[in-house]
Amino acid sequence: MGLADIGALAPDFDLDDGSRKRLSDLRGQPAILVFSPDTWDPALPQQFEQYSELLARFDEPAGLVHFARDGSWCETENQRIPIFRPGNDVLKAYGAEGQQAIFVIDSEGTIQWKHVAQPGVHPKLDDVAREIERIRKGKNLSRRDFLVTAAAASIVLVALPHLSKATGLSLQTKEPNAKSVTLKVNGKAHKLEIDSRVTVLDALRERIGMTGTKKGCDHGQCGACTVLIDGRRANSCMVLAMQAEGQEITTIEGLAKGEELHPVQEAFIKHDGFQCGYCTPGQIMSAVACIHEGHAGTDEQIKEWMSGNICRCGAYNGIVEAVKEANAAMGGHK
Amino acid sequence: MKAFEYQRAGSVGEAIRSASDGSKFLGGGTNLVDLMKYNVEEPSKLIDVTRLPLAKIEDLPGGGLRIGALVKNSDLAADHRVFERYRMLSQAILNGASPQLRNLATTGGNLMQRTRCGYFYDTAFPCNKRTPGSGCSAIQGQNRMHAILGQSDACIAVNPSDMCVALAALDAVIQVEGPKGKRSIPILEFHRLPGDTPNLDTNLGHGELIWAVDLPPLPKEVQTHYVKVRDRNSYAFALTSAAVGMHVGGVDPTIRAARIALGGVSHKPWRAQEAEKALVGMPATRESFRHAAEFALTGAKGYEHNDFKVELAKRTIVRAFMDLVVGLA
Repeated sequence: MGLADIGALAPDFDLDDGSRKRLSDLRGQPAILVFSPDTWDPALPQQFEQYSELLARFDEPAGLVHFARDGSWCETENQRIPIFRPGNDVLKAYGAEGQQAIFVIDSEGTIQWKHVAQPGVHPKLDDVAREIERIRKGKNLSRRDFLVTAAAASIVLVALPHLSKATGLSLQTKEPNAKSVTLKVNGKAHKLEIDSRVTVLDALRERIGMTGTKKGCDHGQCGACTVLIDGRRANSCMVLAMQAEGQEITTIEGLAKGEELHPVQEAFIKHDGFQCGYCTPGQIMSAVACIHEGHAGTDEQIKEWMSGNICRCGAYNGIVEAVKEANAAMGGHK
Repeated sequence: MKAFEYQRAGSVGEAIRSASDGSKFLGGGTNLVDLMKYNVEEPSKLIDVTRLPLAKIEDLPGGGLRIGALVKNSDLAADHRVFERYRMLSQAILNGASPQLRNLATTGGNLMQRTRCGYFYDTAFPCNKRTPGSGCSAIQGQNRMHAILGQSDACIAVNPSDMCVALAALDAVIQVEGPKGKRSIPILEFHRLPGDTPNLDTNLGHGELIWAVDLPPLPKEVQTHYVKVRDRNSYAFALTSAAVGMHVGGVDPTIRAARIALGGVSHKPWRAQEAEKALVGMPATRESFRHAAEFALTGAKGYEHNDFKVELAKRTIVRAFMDLVVGLA
């Protein structure tokens, strides 16, 4: 029996945020305590996004609350989450040394639920969600009353492959501004119950499950998310799904006819128009539009009119060749 | 992103009536949605106006054009009347953003585009534009992209639009409608200098909706041109840009009329009317343009990283006029 068992009082410690507060000073509001590996972890932002998303289900929007002193932070899509490094005594008290651990603590400071496992073994988000919901219902608390502290333990790098599946989307909590929207994607209608914040990109990837369209920067700068909307190329990360209702969305999945690839797809393969391939769906959708617009006549023209699609691998020469050849194959739009 | 209510407006009247504290009109979303993702903009309600019937470009009596507020940037740039009569506008738009962004971005939305100052975007930094009274991080910070004309101690951000620079040179008139009715705002009075209130980009009232932009007729003899200087060949914001127009005529050819507006240098598109006057009656030579450029940059002040813009802006003006002279435009 460790100190930090379910039903026991959460071991107290300094919050290390310069406020001289201790965990026990936070009583009156429940907290989720997350112990993550200390090493740089590329999946950490995603993990925090998911907790953030989880908490966003409950009530009025509010930011997560975090503590940090040493200036290290984890950058998620919307915010920087400071990370603090507890001493070994704290890790020991929670049995979190070398572990991936999550504790849900109620407003009395009692541990209600915990997950302690090897690095990389994350709890199902639904379990955490259920636990939060249980406490919330029991105490009639809003999300605003919840608190997440992020703590770092000192261990190895982990990846969180399965968490991307368990994004908590199965959670039945009502989204604040959810509406029914029908999106037409590659000729097929998809009826979705979605929050107003969902972009076309996220609707495609996370709700409909069409992951061909890529999320690069999510800020309209890289072009990885390019799709056709009513036949015209557009950054799907900048369009709210509700805005696109009734419009024809064409994605990379909609180009090939069965086993027969689209001429632009063929040309990208032939000319090595990629290295890692992440920007490629956006490049191809953009190229299809570029050719239809008549902007693929010369190398210079292709470079200018494909400039909204960034390739970090620098496969530009192959891309220009591919667009040029596809333009000719498609009847040489000038 | 903060939660918000989404509402699609069925008419201009409905859009205006729906405006409330904390609401914003949603056009193409390429700037607003982006800022919402950074929690810089936190509207409680978005009124989607993109389905309103304001996407036409119409001839005005006398040779002008009326551009509907929802005309996409790409359609505006591609319109043959714009290309023939107001070439600098077409060029300016095609020098901005990317094809896929221009397909979304609207004329009205472009007018409302907010600065790309990195400190405005980063909510971890003080910014008088985002949080009035918190201070300006750019004055002592990374200010390579910032203003050299018309700035204040409160803000040195620049307006990022290319389109608006051309509109400023063309004396465009912004048509708006709000709770108190319709009014027309000349482009030069539409955007504001930062002064003590850099949080206000424009003089548009809350609940006022841009429904059209009028371009007054430009004499056929006036040739126009837009030159943008940037860090990349394409798809980058301006370090400096110049929208110029010129009518050269007479037996001993001199400049009869000139237009100069600058981008990338100020909180608003910067029209240089004194410099225009200095050109009238002068021969269309490099020396004349340089002389005018000195006028245009009168009072310019650089900071640690953007001092170079003062000279660059002058050269941009000269280059734009010289392109017209040698027929490169």
